[in-house]
Amino acid sequence: MIGMRAGWGSVVLAGVCAAALACSGGGADKAATAGDSTKAATSTGGKAIKIAMIAKSSDNPVFLAARTGAEAAAKELSAKHGVQVTVEWLTPPKEDGEVQAQRIRQAMNEGVDAILISCSDAGKVTGAINDAVDRGVTVMTFDSDAPQSKRFAFYGVDDPKAGQQTMAELAKVLNGKGNVAILAGNQNAPNLQRRVQGVKDEAAKYPGIKIVGVFNHIETPQDATAEVIRVNNAYPEITGWAFIGGWPLFATSLMTELDPSKQKVVSVDAIPVELPYVDKGVVPVLLAQSVYKWGHVGVTTIFDKLHDNKAPANPVMPMELVRVSKENLGDWARQLKEWGFTDVAPEYLKLPPAAK
Amino acid sequence: MQFVRRILASQETGLVIVVALLTVTLIAMAGSHADRATGMAVNNFWNANTIVQTLTDASFFAIMAIGATMVIISGGIDLSVGSIYALAGVTMALVLRAAGPMASGTTVVVGIVVCVGIGLLCGLLNGILVVGLRVHPFIITLGSMWVLRGVAFVISKAESILVPQSLTGVAKAPLGLGGGLYPVPMLAMIVLTVLGAIYLTRTVMGRHIFAFGGNLEASRFAGLALPRIQIGVFAVSGLTAGISAFLGASFYGSASSGDAQGYELYVIASAVVGGASLIGGKGSAVGAMLGALLIVLIRQSIRTLHFDQNYEWIVIGCAIIIAVVIDQWSTRMTARRLSRAAEATRSAA
Repeated sequence: MIGMRAGWGSVVLAGVCAAALACSGGGADKAATAGDSTKAATSTGGKAIKIAMIAKSSDNPVFLAARTGAEAAAKELSAKHGVQVTVEWLTPPKEDGEVQAQRIRQAMNEGVDAILISCSDAGKVTGAINDAVDRGVTVMTFDSDAPQSKRFAFYGVDDPKAGQQTMAELAKVLNGKGNVAILAGNQNAPNLQRRVQGVKDEAAKYPGIKIVGVFNHIETPQDATAEVIRVNNAYPEITGWAFIGGWPLFATSLMTELDPSKQKVVSVDAIPVELPYVDKGVVPVLLAQSVYKWGHVGVTTIFDKLHDNKAPANPVMPMELVRVSKENLGDWARQLKEWGFTDVAPEYLKLPPAAK
Repeated sequence: MQFVRRILASQETGLVIVVALLTVTLIAMAGSHADRATGMAVNNFWNANTIVQTLTDASFFAIMAIGATMVIISGGIDLSVGSIYALAGVTMALVLRAAGPMASGTTVVVGIVVCVGIGLLCGLLNGILVVGLRVHPFIITLGSMWVLRGVAFVISKAESILVPQSLTGVAKAPLGLGGGLYPVPMLAMIVLTVLGAIYLTRTVMGRHIFAFGGNLEASRFAGLALPRIQIGVFAVSGLTAGISAFLGASFYGSASSGDAQGYELYVIASAVVGGASLIGGKGSAVGAMLGALLIVLIRQSIRTLHFDQNYEWIVIGCAIIIAVVIDQWSTRMTARRLSRAAEATRSAA
């Protein structure tokens, strides 16, 4: 009977797990709330549409903005068409292609109608996407594509072009000469690898510009900031940074670490927390991905496909980058506010509109 | 009667009850959806696809956890299993790409040999370093965790390398089930658990591992070949990581240096929840498998019951701490009871 206590002790463990799970229900999923809120609007009936949204990681603010966009689109479409559209957020806590593939299978087993996914590793999720499509689930990708899969559409920036644009803007502020470092995020993400290539291709057009190196890091603000500081200490000759994602600017510490008189920075992404960098001149140009639209356009495109059987003419739907500088900072701040960002500093909202 | 009592008294029985309770709760609370093909209502959890998918998700951790449990029973720890998984998968994918098109059977055999071979080599290396340098396994495997992932990163050039379709065909063989059910990883988990259980409980080598972890000094005086046992457990741990890597890379269709990042903690958690004692001398292959299954079930329940998934790590963390605390409390109580019984016997005499 010695082991009996340990064995039945596990039963106690089950109770505690259940209690912990019950507590976690306290913070019930936003998707479920969105679904509930749309129920009232759809009392007229119609087939419900359930969309699973799987972004790369739930700790990246750009994907939270995409989620806001997706839920807003679901609400709008529900109200407009009398069809209950719900978005279920199945994003892993951290980037992991295998976990994404597992989430795709979970979603299809739970009977979702469509999946909207940004692929951490296209190779890992292609099989799962194809299985889902074979079982009648509509799949669309955003931000990071799985081009070999059976997804019906992709919405996101043209990555090589985004890299080229970043470098072109940087070359402009550097007057065509300088030593440039590329901050490149996760080394395994194919979309980021393509952006890096775009930066390099564009840099090759400027004889005065030399690429010092490509620097990868874990895609958190802290890790990205630490990488920038480390690289700056190791390469004092760097005069320009091309951030192909805005990770270090999602924290404030580079405000004091970067000296705009010595280094120029151009970055992809422009969410509220990055706006002070433009305002103070630390980062003269941000190239904004309309991250809210990842979700909004994604859900709308899926709805068109499922409800009206209407697919986009070109399966690759390019998203244009928006150039954000001091001139249009107010306009961009107001746009972010309109998209549901709650953390836009009020002083930027009061800035005058850009001159036409 | 004795047999039934022994079964009931085992720690695995407690875990089975926990898994069963959680399963029943999930079935009751999961709700249902209309099946796309038949239009019939299907329980969101209790359907063949979700059950196989949950067991498949658990299988990659569970297979590694069987090997890692042997290391833990010996009183050591292996933090490098995730990195071995990544290196084995990447090496296999690179070798197969370099080899070019081959017959399906040959591709599968080469894939298994390379993947399992790399896993075994890495495990042997860990064991030899632990024994040869007389450094605690925590330090050695912490170092090798970084080194092996670094090697995987360098040789793969950060690329996600696709594996040949024939490998995916094996890992996703329906075995007559159809309907998008892929039972191979699940079956591999069950077979390896049985083999692990037999090895640990029915072979001399297995008994030596318990002796090594339970009382090192006594094992030394008993003349056991301690270095061989220690190298052996790390080799088995590497081997299971290699097998898991083969199944994982084949099932998902690609391998990259970022694979299985952080999985070592899930693996150790599976072993600990499954009853392995971090001070050695205790644990089982079946417990490790059930521990992995329980962790994956907890994750699945958060999803199925539509709870906020941001609570996943908190719930799993709590489960691990509680499992260890209950285990320690139980051990203390048992020791106290035995000591009282011994005292009573002495007094009576």
